[in-house]
Amino acid sequence: MTKRHKGDLDPVTFEVLRSLFEYSCERMTEVLRRSSFSPILADMLDFSNAVYDADLQLLSQAANCPVHLAAMKFSAEAIINKFGFDTLKEGDVYLVNDPYQGGTHIPDMTFVLPIFFEGGLLGFAVSRGHWMDLGGGAAGGQSYGTHIAAEGLRLPPTKLYTNYEPNDDIVDIIMNNTRTPHYVKGDMQAHFGALLAAEGELQRAAKRYGVNVLRVAMKELQGYTERIIRKSIERIPNGEYEAEDYADSDGFRQKIKIKLKLIVKDTDIVVDFEGSDPQCQGAINSPFANTASAVFYSLQFFLSPDAPQNQGMFNPISIKLPEDCWLNAKWPAPTIGCTTLTSSKITSALWQALAQAIPERVTGSTYSECNWFVASVRDRFGKSDVFSELPAGGWGGTPYSDGMSVTCDPLGNCMNMPAETAELLFPIAYEAFEFRTDSAGSGLHRGGVGATFKVRFKGEGELSMETSRTLEGSPGVNTPFRSAVQRQTKIHTDGKAEVVGGLTPNGDWKNPLLAGLRFAPGETFMFESTGGGGWGNPYERPVQDVLDDVLDDFVSVEAARDEYGVVIDPDTLAVDEIATGERRAAGIPVPENAAE
Amino acid sequence: MWRVGVDVGGTFTDLFAWEEKTGKRVTAKVLTTKGDRSEGVIQAIEAAQLPFGDISHLIHGTTAATNALLERSYPDPALITTDGFRDTIEIGRQHRKHLYDPYQTKPKPIIRRRYRYTVPERMNGDGNVERPLNREVAADVADKIADAGIKSIAIAFINAYVNDAHEQEMQDIVRARIPDAHIVLSGETRPVFREHGRFSTTAIRAALMPVMVEFFDRLRERLKENGFAGALMILKSSGGVAGVDLAKDHPEELLESGPAGGVAYAAYLSRLTDYPNFIHTDMGGTSFDASIVEDGKGLITRDYELEWEIPVIVPMLDIHSIGAGGGSIGWVDEGGSLRVGPRSAGSEPGPACYGSGGTEATITDANLLLGRLEPSLGGKLEMDRNAAETAINALAQKIGLDPLETAEGMIRISCENMAQAVKMVLVARGRDPRDFVLASFGGAGAMHTAFVAEAMNIPKMIVPAYAGVASAFGATAMDLRQDVEAFMYASLAHVDLDEINGTFDRLEKRAMDLLAQDGVAAADVTISRSAQMRYVGQTYEVESPMPEGRFTADTLPKLAANFDEQHRLEHGVSSSDFEPAIVSLSVTATGATVKPPLFEKAEGSSAEKVKGTRQVYFAGEWAETEIFDGEALSSGDKITGPAIVEYNDACAVLPPTTHASVDDMQNLVIELGG
Repeated sequence: MTKRHKGDLDPVTFEVLRSLFEYSCERMTEVLRRSSFSPILADMLDFSNAVYDADLQLLSQAANCPVHLAAMKFSAEAIINKFGFDTLKEGDVYLVNDPYQGGTHIPDMTFVLPIFFEGGLLGFAVSRGHWMDLGGGAAGGQSYGTHIAAEGLRLPPTKLYTNYEPNDDIVDIIMNNTRTPHYVKGDMQAHFGALLAAEGELQRAAKRYGVNVLRVAMKELQGYTERIIRKSIERIPNGEYEAEDYADSDGFRQKIKIKLKLIVKDTDIVVDFEGSDPQCQGAINSPFANTASAVFYSLQFFLSPDAPQNQGMFNPISIKLPEDCWLNAKWPAPTIGCTTLTSSKITSALWQALAQAIPERVTGSTYSECNWFVASVRDRFGKSDVFSELPAGGWGGTPYSDGMSVTCDPLGNCMNMPAETAELLFPIAYEAFEFRTDSAGSGLHRGGVGATFKVRFKGEGELSMETSRTLEGSPGVNTPFRSAVQRQTKIHTDGKAEVVGGLTPNGDWKNPLLAGLRFAPGETFMFESTGGGGWGNPYERPVQDVLDDVLDDFVSVEAARDEYGVVIDPDTLAVDEIATGERRAAGIPVPENAAE
Repeated sequence: MWRVGVDVGGTFTDLFAWEEKTGKRVTAKVLTTKGDRSEGVIQAIEAAQLPFGDISHLIHGTTAATNALLERSYPDPALITTDGFRDTIEIGRQHRKHLYDPYQTKPKPIIRRRYRYTVPERMNGDGNVERPLNREVAADVADKIADAGIKSIAIAFINAYVNDAHEQEMQDIVRARIPDAHIVLSGETRPVFREHGRFSTTAIRAALMPVMVEFFDRLRERLKENGFAGALMILKSSGGVAGVDLAKDHPEELLESGPAGGVAYAAYLSRLTDYPNFIHTDMGGTSFDASIVEDGKGLITRDYELEWEIPVIVPMLDIHSIGAGGGSIGWVDEGGSLRVGPRSAGSEPGPACYGSGGTEATITDANLLLGRLEPSLGGKLEMDRNAAETAINALAQKIGLDPLETAEGMIRISCENMAQAVKMVLVARGRDPRDFVLASFGGAGAMHTAFVAEAMNIPKMIVPAYAGVASAFGATAMDLRQDVEAFMYASLAHVDLDEINGTFDRLEKRAMDLLAQDGVAAADVTISRSAQMRYVGQTYEVESPMPEGRFTADTLPKLAANFDEQHRLEHGVSSSDFEPAIVSLSVTATGATVKPPLFEKAEGSSAEKVKGTRQVYFAGEWAETEIFDGEALSSGDKITGPAIVEYNDACAVLPPTTHASVDDMQNLVIELGG
């Protein structure tokens, strides 16, 4: 047996500190959630917090948004690269959002506080939040242009606080460059409060256990996670597993491709993106930090969901990217859609690759989108505001059960806005957010279902949205069927529906990157999200489960017959046992759009 | 006449009673009856040898409502809602519980989708009709529900919190077809905004009504048969009580009916001792609860969730629970680290030392091995020390420590986890641990309280008398209470004073009418007002106290100042950039009840105070430790750690770094530091 714990760190103290580091991040989260002012932070929870050791290795993270998981490290590194370890002082807070210096997309603001104890550097607290608006050509920076400059204020690593006091000049610059200046000070203070919470916890721990014990525990914690991750990689058969997925559009060209090879060798994984498309014109390019984050969080689901998140989980996994690649974006490529649209496709491609290696453990793809939109709205007095929403879809069927319906994609864990809140705050009215029949991928365990979302504009507004899965739905595991396609529709005041993104009734396809689409008072935006991919052969799904789905309107009588082989009388809703037996005996049909 | 508190828990049914004339007290503990839970109430009263005819008040805490919901064991209810919102109660906020678990599922909805119907209608947020109720579709839906034989119906329409005219109209249509149905309207259940919480609470009331009506009727019948003619009162989640008839109509207010008794006890202590602020903790076999009591009141939340994304928005005591208890299992994880819980050996098979087939090392096994637990538990049980030792040895080998280090380490880890849970409770409400005394309830609480306090730098703890039957004791110390609420959205700059005054008048009248049903005279009612407030643009509220009397223009600056202060307390910040706004007004009306009297000076039983000594393991070494009989201790007695104080239903562990004294109420007050 190898000696696991070094120096003066006993296993009990290690466990105590392990949970203390986690608690520190949870506490940051609680402080940020409680003291922030903007709905996107306080209500939708689009933020993450982390603590790093003195070598800038991740120690612990409370990632509300997994897509922030690995990316925050790059932000902290960019700050050190610019300012150097030697200039760091207690009470100095740095800020960065530049996608080309440690950021991902402009709205994600990252705050970094070095933590000192008795004059020595103990570690770093890092807090990242998605701010509603930092300027650019459309609300939320979602103008879908061809240059990063169109997406808003790009802050290089900047010293925001000196000795716990903010630099008001910088705060003024930010306030001058946003459509929502009223949130700036409150939200900044909330991030600051979160950083101080972590500083207090780490300093108290250093005092109680001694700096050396703390340092040893930090390194040991990373080793601990690495052991867990390596063990779980060992359980995946060695091999090379290839998969593809694509973004429907960058606004200029259809089908921007991800191609990847997942190489498993003993306790190491390499993800090689050779063959993926070159950098594209539109706003979905992903800087390395974002691509890396997507790889790590996507694998985490099937490596070890419970392992403490720290540097140890990164060590066994390496990433190879072609130099000219939309997943390795270089200035001045626009990147606004990378955290949502692009990340979720990386997840789907990786899970499809994993499904070849361990089909008995991998789930179908989720709806593989974020469906994030931002709209600027004006009430009848001309007062303007910005609201956003992210109507979720379903998760993939699992080896054990149906997937979750209408639940935020793996990339985040953001909440929607209650209709009654939205109506109080903005000149809009939610008209629907309910399950969409036949939106899930069929399977022995079907995907969770997607939703139909409708919002009516009471005043004028412009809506921007990036999405995908409008050409094909999400794939499953060992099932020939995909989930339904997503679609964006404008319902005119006379009730006429016009598809504005995705497949139209006559089979045309419209680009689903909506940049500032105008709505007049009384017009409604409808979004139909998709469900998750299924798991296993739908012809083996128990007849009673299929009937229950029909009784609950999750599945139509037609889909029950065509995709599950279960024949149900549309009037009596009784199962025709004989017809069902015959249909199921004939074997499952292969649809035209079948996955390989 | 006797006032009797009965708490029916998962394992035991506890009773505490006191006689008004003499101040005499009795307690009883019987096993909870699994089938008909009213039977356990009868048995507890019989065990305490109380004549049913001599009971003036029976105050009952019950988990019946919570159990029915968790098991979904109620007849199928139906939901009628606005077109487009059929799935609000199932979609929730599209949030998942575990960030990275790919196999997780969400709880089953309270009402199945096939019985969720929609009708065309739309009320606007300002209370004006956007689309009238389509009566044809409404009648068709009512027919379908009647055909399905459903007798319990929730009607929950969008924006009904501001105008529920369409809900009323729908109710009439349903009533005409199903005259004997329980019909529940969202605008009446809780007229506050945010449809998910309101719909969910309405659905829960509809689901529970038939179950709780049956349950309470049977209980009342059984008590009557035995000669009981007093008042039957039920503990509510808010920390108050109500008569059984009111409780029956508001079953959604009973979900923390059990734990509320313990918190009520802590609140009672905070009014009687010199310590205004307590952290109430309760550790049993599987879970550890923590909540805050401040200035004699338990903190209230409106963010309760029955299960993931199933909110209940009535005001409830803010009680947090984690999986840590005597049965928590020690284990070594994949990375080689020693962990404790959240998995528990429960009562079956129980800790290894119970000898019922458990083989994994639990906290109870660790306590036994370290000499902190007396192996016969006062003659109630014969614990198997060898089995505990075998279990701990196996764990010790896996991590390369000796067994005693392992046992002590398990307890330390578990106490750190509990300390963090307590800290999160405090942080979430912006409170500072240094302002609090840790109050320890439950069978396993006092064994660990000193270590929990040490881990979070709280210098003082209290182990209350009757800690082992705390919820039953608390039941007898609660006031009658009604909480009513009305939506009123206005920024302070645009507030209509007449509307505030009118709304408070209306609410106070309603609350007093409700209390009058429980026999409280208007003159005996205490009213407290508050408002849910936020800064304009925020999407969450903070409860802010509101002054008595008529509101005038001069009152408004005071409201703003109150709110700023409350927001600073709960969230650590306040703002001058945003204007305060009122979202809803609430009134809490209480009618005082007669409480168990104070002792002048508590006298213990006549038994020897020191039962003897034994070797107990603390901080890496064995120490000769005095064992006290807790029931024999009297006011003014002092104890210096290391010591163990054994009670009938609990046991306090005092490590060498502590000392303690017994106060006038026979509470054990423990302090850290020699």
